[in-house]
Amino acid sequence: MKITLIRVTFYLLLFLFWYLFIKLGNIPSYILPAPIEVLSSFYYGFFKGSYCTAIFFSLVRVLIGYFLALGVGMITGILLARYYLLDITFGRTILALQSIPSVAWVPLALLWFGITDNAVVFIIILEAVLPVALSTKNAMKNIPPNLIRAAQTLGSKGLHLYRNVIIKAMIPELVTGLRLSWAFAWRALIAGELFISGSGIGQTLELGRSLADMSQVIAMITTIGVIGFLTENLFFGTIERRVRNAWGLEGR
Amino acid sequence: MIELQPKIKFENVSKSFFNTSKTETVLKDLNFSVFAEEFVCILGPSGSGKSTILGLIAGFIKPNSGLVLFNSKPIQRPNSSRTLVFQDYALFPWLNILDNVAFGLTTKNHSSKKSREVSLDYLNLVGLSAYKDYSVSQLSGGMKQRVAIARALAVEPEVLLLDEPFGALDQHTRESMQVEILRLWSKAKRTVLFVTHSVDEALKLGDRILVVGGKPGTILFDTTIAVSRPRDFKNPKLVTIRNQILEKLIQPDLFMGANI
Repeated sequence: MKITLIRVTFYLLLFLFWYLFIKLGNIPSYILPAPIEVLSSFYYGFFKGSYCTAIFFSLVRVLIGYFLALGVGMITGILLARYYLLDITFGRTILALQSIPSVAWVPLALLWFGITDNAVVFIIILEAVLPVALSTKNAMKNIPPNLIRAAQTLGSKGLHLYRNVIIKAMIPELVTGLRLSWAFAWRALIAGELFISGSGIGQTLELGRSLADMSQVIAMITTIGVIGFLTENLFFGTIERRVRNAWGLEGR
Repeated sequence: MIELQPKIKFENVSKSFFNTSKTETVLKDLNFSVFAEEFVCILGPSGSGKSTILGLIAGFIKPNSGLVLFNSKPIQRPNSSRTLVFQDYALFPWLNILDNVAFGLTTKNHSSKKSREVSLDYLNLVGLSAYKDYSVSQLSGGMKQRVAIARALAVEPEVLLLDEPFGALDQHTRESMQVEILRLWSKAKRTVLFVTHSVDEALKLGDRILVVGGKPGTILFDTTIAVSRPRDFKNPKLVTIRNQILEKLIQPDLFMGANI
């Protein structure tokens, strides 16, 4: 309760400081609009304009890319865990790929797919595949061998062993991979959307720039941050914490 | 006179492991038999191949030569007729205590009600039925090992294999667990093979002690302890056996890699 109060005060002071800075500094609104202008951009954007459709289409893109990435990533991870030769060759390459920011893939994607949704989905897959592949690989390699032996000695084998032990033992590490992957996908989505046509959060942001509508730009940046925070921290963070608790990995 | 069939029989068993650099022979020409309802302690220094013997019986490891027989048939793969209890418990952290005990039963075609009842019985047997809904991380080491033993017994194995089960426990817990395992064994008669590196633990528990040692490991000494339990270490028979075992274990050339 006390923390909530401190936080509310912090944001009120922030807005006050922002307001005073603009009033006293005589800042033009295409450089930095007043808080009220941003709020009205939110209001018109959501209730009369295209913000809702933009968010909808962005979410569709990111979900398509994300789930395709999960499929590809998990299969890659399993292959890397099983085949040593693949791991020391392709596995190394993946680590190098991970240090390339998603925006660096944009020119390549645009040349291959044009300024379409496919280009964005491609960039998302490239980015989101890596964390899932790596965490699947590690999750498989880190299963305590005695857990599998214990299961076998109790009569578990084949499908029963896979369903009740191997997959279960992998889950905590997999969930971490899923969260990381989502964070990557979300960043890649915005990077890609800046360059393509159609409706989306990135496009709306880019439109704001070309119309010198700084209120819209700030409104979209805020939207990206809020959705990212809610999904990454609240949704995935909660799942991760619950799984770690259920698996007895978190200190109580 | 009827000849007694051994429950487990090792016939000239040798086992080597292949590393990248060299081949290490862990066991060489092992011959011994274990009979039904015997409590056999396998005693030896670390690295003597004690755990490998259990792995061979459990079916995780195959011998390079020789035969490991269970009820006169060669052992092919792990099976719930021979369950293994580990030093690190190896409980499934995502299952609660009762479901851990019931795990082996889920591989059989029992109804879930039946396996629940059976699991509760075994949890009761180790005195932990009050903890059935707890998670694994809430239990102490000694309690975890009791759950692991209950889990291994719940599938009603013919042979119970214990690989230094009390090695990670403190002295006090260890002693109470030794009493506990004897109580369980007298209630649910099974063939037990108990690996330990503690001479006193072996003397306290076993009907018979197999001393394993040397490089590669062989059976140095095989003795039956005809002393009733609970045992008093001052008993002259135990003192004699203890001295014989120690004599075998501290022969210096055993640890220098020389064959005997």
